[in-house]
Amino acid sequence: MKRTYKMLSAVLIGASMLLSACGGNNAAPSGNAAAGSGEKTIELTLTNSWSSTSTQAVDVVRRKLIDEYKAENPNVKISEETLDNASLKTKIKTLAAGNNLPDVFMLLGSDARMFLDNGLIMPLNDILDEDKEWKDGFIPAAFNDFDVDGQIAGAPIQMTSTSFVYYNAEIFKNVGYETFPATWDELIDALAKFKEMGITPISMGNKDQWVAGSSLLSALGDRFTGTDWFNSIRDRQGASFTDQPFIDALTAIKQLSDMGAFNSDINSIDHTQQRTAFYNGQAAMFLEGGWAVSSVVNDAPKEVLDNTHLALLPSVNGGAGEAWATAGGSGWAIALNSNLEGEELEAAVKLVKLLSGEKAANMSAELGDSSGSIATDYDKSKSTPLFLEYLDLLEKSKMTPVYDIHLAPSIIQVMNKGLQELLIPSSGKTPEKLAEEIQEAYENS
Amino acid sequence: MERTLPKPKGIVIFGFLLPGILINLFIIVIPLILAIYFSLYKFTGGIMGDFVGLSNYAQLVKDGKFWNSFKNNLVITGLSIVGQLGFAFVLAIVLQSKWVKFREFHRTVIFLPVVLPAVVVGFVWTLMYNKDYGILNKLLSSIGLSSWIQPWLDDPGIVLYSVTAPIIWQFIGLYLIIFMSAIQNISSEIYEVAEIDGATGLRKAIYITLPMLADTIKVALMLCIAGNMKIFDNIFVMTGGGPGDSSTVMAQYAYNVSFGQFRLGYGSAVSIGMIILSLLLVLVIRRLMGGTNR
Repeated sequence: MKRTYKMLSAVLIGASMLLSACGGNNAAPSGNAAAGSGEKTIELTLTNSWSSTSTQAVDVVRRKLIDEYKAENPNVKISEETLDNASLKTKIKTLAAGNNLPDVFMLLGSDARMFLDNGLIMPLNDILDEDKEWKDGFIPAAFNDFDVDGQIAGAPIQMTSTSFVYYNAEIFKNVGYETFPATWDELIDALAKFKEMGITPISMGNKDQWVAGSSLLSALGDRFTGTDWFNSIRDRQGASFTDQPFIDALTAIKQLSDMGAFNSDINSIDHTQQRTAFYNGQAAMFLEGGWAVSSVVNDAPKEVLDNTHLALLPSVNGGAGEAWATAGGSGWAIALNSNLEGEELEAAVKLVKLLSGEKAANMSAELGDSSGSIATDYDKSKSTPLFLEYLDLLEKSKMTPVYDIHLAPSIIQVMNKGLQELLIPSSGKTPEKLAEEIQEAYENS
Repeated sequence: MERTLPKPKGIVIFGFLLPGILINLFIIVIPLILAIYFSLYKFTGGIMGDFVGLSNYAQLVKDGKFWNSFKNNLVITGLSIVGQLGFAFVLAIVLQSKWVKFREFHRTVIFLPVVLPAVVVGFVWTLMYNKDYGILNKLLSSIGLSSWIQPWLDDPGIVLYSVTAPIIWQFIGLYLIIFMSAIQNISSEIYEVAEIDGATGLRKAIYITLPMLADTIKVALMLCIAGNMKIFDNIFVMTGGGPGDSSTVMAQYAYNVSFGQFRLGYGSAVSIGMIILSLLLVLVIRRLMGGTNR
């Protein structure tokens, strides 16, 4: 008798452990009521890159909003995991491979198609249609990166360019340029002069491999090829990576690398470290997306900040692209795991709305960044001159596709790895060779 | 007089073996079988893809990047054999000499890196190699060798050697301990006889210590090869296999294919290829060394 009792309890304990392990995706058992209120406790897992030590508006705003959500919804328990950007990309892919994605997470545009095809995430179309106000609050173009044949993969949380030139006007003035060079040849001339002065012309940190792709090639490529070429590539309408304009774009990057325009440790520092040399006045410019504005405002010393201005890459001779255009899009969105249902889904949708909606946009705008939604009401006096300059530039320029958001990961990896080699003068990688490799990956994907 | 312990029942023996067998089963055998299974499919995560037979392997044999990463593994292994075993052997002999003070202290300090996580080692060495505030460049310029300063982790020509240095440094201690304990097992009488015959330190090392350690060295060699075939974490932290593919090793390549490009089926094939190559290498080396004995 005693023995049977022991066995029974062992089985029960084992079973309850198993059950609680799978419980993350189901509604919590009803016995687990929140204290005080009669409501059930709902558990949500959330994976993001909103670090509490970051100075970027996109992070600061989300941190505040998550705290707010927790305060308003005591019955929802959020277990959060925060990683840096590069690790987040890896982690999400790894979790997806094991069919083990968090309930709510940050989704990269290039993963959207695969995750939807594999049924890992929930298309948001119905949820968006139910809440017209929320849906119409988004910047219309923000959904472009997450629209997979009509299915919306996530709620965009930013809408920005991935390629702006952050330049130090004082340094440019020293070599005789009152404004940012308007043509490629002038830019090369200025860079050569910086080199003579012992200043790093372009500070770049490409260890994580996306910086050169998103912030340099996507924008520069469009200058040479025009957007029609990329659309043809994306829709497989006949364009090829070995087309001359694309090779010309790679050649231009090779030209920069050969003349020593970049810091020699380009492949061993990352995108936040690339700003350091600029802050110290040791670099004339760096290339990064709009998300860096808030960090520059917070981190740069005053004398550098006052001289910091934004520009687009200059136009090139005979290029097919428009001059007032730069690579951009939403890039990141918040996605929902496809196995959410019932109250969990409700709680998750509420969280997504808060993190992507109007309020987030207004808070972002005050800190100097743009969100996926339109900012309606914010204190313009709080905005810094650099942010206003950024808004102005964003308004004037057309957004062209960011390569690593629209192309499949297998192509991107070849492209970004090849760019790393192209950026080293001694590597012997030729633009033609790289173009062929990318084309091969494109044909195989 | 022979004392016999009561022979344990079969179930008791099995009970003691069970935890080990279970652990082995779950972390080695089952994943291996799963990897073989996945490698026969075109699998991109989530829903299972199409069965493609051995075509992943056919592709693998022709994959220049895979063979390039295998070559990198071989270079690292070669350097490690010379660096780790060579240094460890020399240090073991030096530490065995009578005039060395604080023997325990030296041994502990040299062994310490072995217990550090590879990620920590990778980060520390990345900082040491840093262009502006890395200790290596500071040191070089302070002794007037600024012309030797290199973009250590940025030049595809030297990056493989730069990432090998910490691997060598980290594991010298392991082989040092193995060699020191083996040296202590050599009978001191042999050395005494040699000393009477007038053998000095170097001669004793070459003619006594080295032959007496032959078996230990073989084991150490196998450990070294096996360890370097699966090397991943240091390099992942330091360069991520870059610039380009210049420091990509097989494990990194399997990782890139599986989780970077999301080709999990092919990635599994790469892993299986890695196991086959490592086994072949170990077998070949064993055959080569066995030849001298028998």
